[in-house]
Amino acid sequence: MKPLIGSGSTTVRRLSAGAALLLISFVSGAQEPLPIFDAHIHYSHDAWQSVPPQEAVAILRKAGVRRALVSSSGDDGQQKLYALAPDLILPSLRPYRSRGDISTWVRDQSVIPYLEERLKRYRYVAIGEFHVYGADADLPVVRRVVQLAKEHRIFLHSHSDADAIERHFRQDPEARILWAHSGFDRPERVREMLRKHRNLWCDLAWRTDHAPGGRLDPDWRAAMLEFPDRFMVGTDTPTPERWHFIAEHSRWVRTWLAELPRDVAEKIAHRNGEAVFGKMLAPSKPEQH
Amino acid sequence: MQFKKVVPCMLALLAALSPWGVADQPALLTFSEGELKAILAHGPWPVLPSRDPSNRVSGKPEAVALGERLFFDTRLSGTGAFSCASCHAPESSWTDNRKRGVAIAETDRNTPTLMNVRLNRWFGWDGAADSLWSQSIRPILDPRELGSRPRQVAALVRGDEQLSCRYRRSFGAPPSATDDEGVLVDVAKALAAFQETLQSARAPFDEFRDALARGDRHAAARYPVAAQRGLKVFVAGACGTCHTGPNFTNGEFHDTGLPFFAAPGRVDPGRHEGIKRVRESRYNLLGPYNDDAARVTATSTRHVMLEHRNFGEFKVPSLRNASFTAPYGHDGQLATLADVVRHYSELNLDRLHADGEQLLKPLRLTAREQQDLVVFLETLSPYGNSWRPEPRPPCE
Repeated sequence: MKPLIGSGSTTVRRLSAGAALLLISFVSGAQEPLPIFDAHIHYSHDAWQSVPPQEAVAILRKAGVRRALVSSSGDDGQQKLYALAPDLILPSLRPYRSRGDISTWVRDQSVIPYLEERLKRYRYVAIGEFHVYGADADLPVVRRVVQLAKEHRIFLHSHSDADAIERHFRQDPEARILWAHSGFDRPERVREMLRKHRNLWCDLAWRTDHAPGGRLDPDWRAAMLEFPDRFMVGTDTPTPERWHFIAEHSRWVRTWLAELPRDVAEKIAHRNGEAVFGKMLAPSKPEQH
Repeated sequence: MQFKKVVPCMLALLAALSPWGVADQPALLTFSEGELKAILAHGPWPVLPSRDPSNRVSGKPEAVALGERLFFDTRLSGTGAFSCASCHAPESSWTDNRKRGVAIAETDRNTPTLMNVRLNRWFGWDGAADSLWSQSIRPILDPRELGSRPRQVAALVRGDEQLSCRYRRSFGAPPSATDDEGVLVDVAKALAAFQETLQSARAPFDEFRDALARGDRHAAARYPVAAQRGLKVFVAGACGTCHTGPNFTNGEFHDTGLPFFAAPGRVDPGRHEGIKRVRESRYNLLGPYNDDAARVTATSTRHVMLEHRNFGEFKVPSLRNASFTAPYGHDGQLATLADVVRHYSELNLDRLHADGEQLLKPLRLTAREQQDLVVFLETLSPYGNSWRPEPRPPCE
């Protein structure tokens, strides 16, 4: 059996060299900002001119965003970005032709052929982000959306209350759902939902209550430690101007993530998103029309 | 209390001949209890003056005189070409009626009126200052505005006989020979003391509101009927939720769906940046220059929280004097009051987050309702700015 600690000058030199390497590694690691998987980006029709695709991609890269789940009101938006940066963009199909559809889409039968046609033409990792609350989640249009996600083996990105999430899962117990904004719900409720549904993930977009003043809230910290594999961060860019908030948001995220154990921080920052969505488009290149 | 519509027979005949009914004839519409309560909450006017505890010369006549003199003094600027009054012109109701303020260079924002400025809790479109005196420092040092430096300001006050004399009268001691920043802050406090006196006169709405309050239907009926209809639209549209109280503002910050690109590729972050700046400022109420030793005035600054939603939020402006302060919005993008009303009538929901401004919905007003609302807004302005410089004897 080899001694754990050697003796003599050679061993000391080796230990010193090792310590130095460790130090260098630690320092360089500390200087490297956490990459971000941004799970909540929109690139809607009104952004295409004021933040052209090249600029949008540059903003994401400059902010240290490694991957972004992008949906658009007017679905062409994320296709423009995906064509430009397939390594960066994960397209999600939104059931809105303009953002004004937010409050009407659940009763708009024409949404379904629109989605079916897009799903035939392009590849997506999710349907969403869409807005639906309570019993509206059982309306035929929403039910069909859940079925489409099942047929295409993709996620639902649902901006909804817990009630609507429950209805999604009743319609398809195997559905995989990214709960937008964690439903703007309390951490206790979010934990209950995560315990109950193994295929539920939560994004933290738009909200600041989990880290008021940049300091992690204890209840949210407990939720993240209980479910380190189930949270993701996101900026949310409903208007073109908010693209210029992405870098600021990434910095803010890294501030409160630093309070978590490094492995948990890395998971929430980017590894969870990569693990869940990263390989979904891998087998082949997307069709371009 | 209910007020029945008063429409004499003669007026009814005129109404039949006029598409707008009895718009120009004395009449009093019926207002519900809820409407009356909402209307009465917008008064009485004026609001009684009160001292700013963070400013030891607030309300002091000598400081008001010094502040007035400094306000119009172009030597306060780095180039010697601009004064506070270059943008906050008294003849333009203390603004400049430009889309964006311009002094040494163009700024990103519309110049807000200083009328009734003392009633603010946060100052500037982004609330980056928590007192009127700290707000007064910003344009002095901003390279686009007066572009000055503490040393230049202090040298001016030390070297000018009248300013130095008035400074001594105001602060009880001559300006420090070494503490440039201390003199700059005192200059700002004198400027604040002067600005605190800028109060708008009573407007036609105030006469109407007070007549309702005392149950004087005859006097209330002198208020134009179109304005009464516009007031009903204002109340029904919940405009008073943000434009609340006697000064028609809650003093807070909201995203009303107006674009906030300052230039291609550059946004004006509004309140998001304002909160960061007010917390970082050494001139804030938590800092060494607050004259309120107990720091009671600093409570809001201590607790203000930065949220993502603040990005692109701007201050709710007062509606008083609105007739004189065009154009509108944080960067003057709305040219007229009619444009403002149209913006809220046709509010683009695409511009608002689903969990952002829950109260804001398109008002969907008819053309007549829009016109009536404009007429009502015009009655929030007095007949002009009566401010004139007071003759002041030389300081000795």
